[in-house]
Amino acid sequence: MKFPIFALMEIFREIGHLLRKDMQLELRTSYAISGILLYVFSTIFIVYMAFQKIQPDVWNALFWIIILFASVSAIVKSFVQESSARQLYYYSLANPISILLSKIIYNIVLLLGLSLLTWLGFSFVAGSPVRDTSQFFLALLLGSVGFSITFTFIAAISAKADNNATLMAILSFPLIIPILLTLIKLSANALRLMQDTAVQNDIFILLAIDLMLLGVGLALFPFLWRD
Amino acid sequence: MLKKYWWKALSVIILIYVFIAGMTVPLSPGIERVAPTSVRTGDEVTLEVLGYNSRYDEGGQVSAWLKLDNERALKAESVQVESGRRLKALFRIPEYLPVDRKVQDFTLILDNEKDGASVLPSAVFVTQDSIDPEMGQKAWLNSPVQDLHEEWAMTFPFRNILSETIRNTYFHVPLWFAMIFIFIASVANSIRYLRGGNLEADNKAQAYTRVGILLGILGLSTGAVWARHTWGAYWSGDVKQNMTAIALLIYFAYFILRAVFEDPEKKARISAVYNIFAFVALIPLIYVIPRLTDSLHPGAGGNPAFGTQDLDNTMRMVFYPAVIGWTLLGFWIGNLLHRMGRIRLKLMDAL
Repeated sequence: MKFPIFALMEIFREIGHLLRKDMQLELRTSYAISGILLYVFSTIFIVYMAFQKIQPDVWNALFWIIILFASVSAIVKSFVQESSARQLYYYSLANPISILLSKIIYNIVLLLGLSLLTWLGFSFVAGSPVRDTSQFFLALLLGSVGFSITFTFIAAISAKADNNATLMAILSFPLIIPILLTLIKLSANALRLMQDTAVQNDIFILLAIDLMLLGVGLALFPFLWRD
Repeated sequence: MLKKYWWKALSVIILIYVFIAGMTVPLSPGIERVAPTSVRTGDEVTLEVLGYNSRYDEGGQVSAWLKLDNERALKAESVQVESGRRLKALFRIPEYLPVDRKVQDFTLILDNEKDGASVLPSAVFVTQDSIDPEMGQKAWLNSPVQDLHEEWAMTFPFRNILSETIRNTYFHVPLWFAMIFIFIASVANSIRYLRGGNLEADNKAQAYTRVGILLGILGLSTGAVWARHTWGAYWSGDVKQNMTAIALLIYFAYFILRAVFEDPEKKARISAVYNIFAFVALIPLIYVIPRLTDSLHPGAGGNPAFGTQDLDNTMRMVFYPAVIGWTLLGFWIGNLLHRMGRIRLKLMDAL
């Protein structure tokens, strides 16, 4: 590691390999991803049965709550699906930063796919009140990034404990609220429930929170993985 | 002894001063209520004024004005003092007002030798039947507010909605300040632990977090009492209240996380990581979201923060010491908790 640029290239190469590994793992044990999908669709159906006719403001709230719970259950396994001995092996091969980044990137893609499917499924049964599609898509994208950064890091923390699903929920729900509230505002705007002239402001805040959490996460992760 | 522990003594002395001065210094005279609050043009109206801490019967002639703006005011035709707190002021409202608005608010100003001047903003609303600013200009008998008496006494300002609850400024606000300082100290100790691996630093971090939560709960409850008097309910779902509750949840989760691990080293490392991450996540919660949303709280939703108008020099004499006093007391409690934790670690042979 003579030049920083080489170190950076090394990290990118490692991220590529790790992403391919995660992808293969997911496809080989496809019950995880299909489990999440089934979870989402049954939640959508329960919500639809309970509400029958869904007003746009309720639609907005329910949509993000479904996404929130689906994201938590999708990400909680990030650091526990492989045995701790295998984890140790990865850590000896790769930089911890690339491990965290590859997990975050992988989870962003996963959550984006998940939220698009939720949108599709929810619209199928309950109708879609979305007026500004591109803005709503932007909200989904920013939401996936924010959720992925926060939840992946918290998953890394709670993976250190035995009863990690409960811990994951109590640690991550309060932390996600600023992001979630801004997202709900942004998507309410895309549903034309409110007219916000300062949408860029919200987007900027979301990006700022994301960057801040990502920075702290990357700085702290090297302290976390060691056992 | 005194060289080492002077700050503990200082915190006690300051807080005794804060309690005594904050609770006993009276409020300056003010106007509590006026009736009627809405009149029509052309009326001859007798305003019944209820004063607060006022001495209308002792201070000689009381003058009263209804002020329209900085240049224009109506003087009372006569003022009839009934008691120290009650008086009746007779005003003759002209047929037309020199403004092109249907409803105009007037500020009531009272003045006498003993109390000095007291002001009630938007005391009376005058409705005009027909709007004609030029006629109003002609009919206006201007008698500007003048010859006010300067009164100096050791008092806190009288604010109409706040009245006596203004004393909460020495408890609610400094408790928040102290909480922020304590949480910063806690995060600093978590960072120190991660850099050096010294269990004492982590023990300090958890002790300070405990105190921070205590101060946060106190700040929240003093705020709720204040909200009951000014906003009408202990909990009105205001964004500041909600965000504060969430911030407390984040720190409660910190202790749940600590309780999960048996091994002190692992406990220290993982909770230090969470503490730093949570503190960073707290910044948008406390400083960004409340500024985006409407809030009743001062300093948000277009309301002015305390400091510019509401904190006068007498209040500063109590407020700034209160911040120092509560912060020092917080660090003292934190220190005790830290020592307790150290004994526990020693018993476990971890230290």
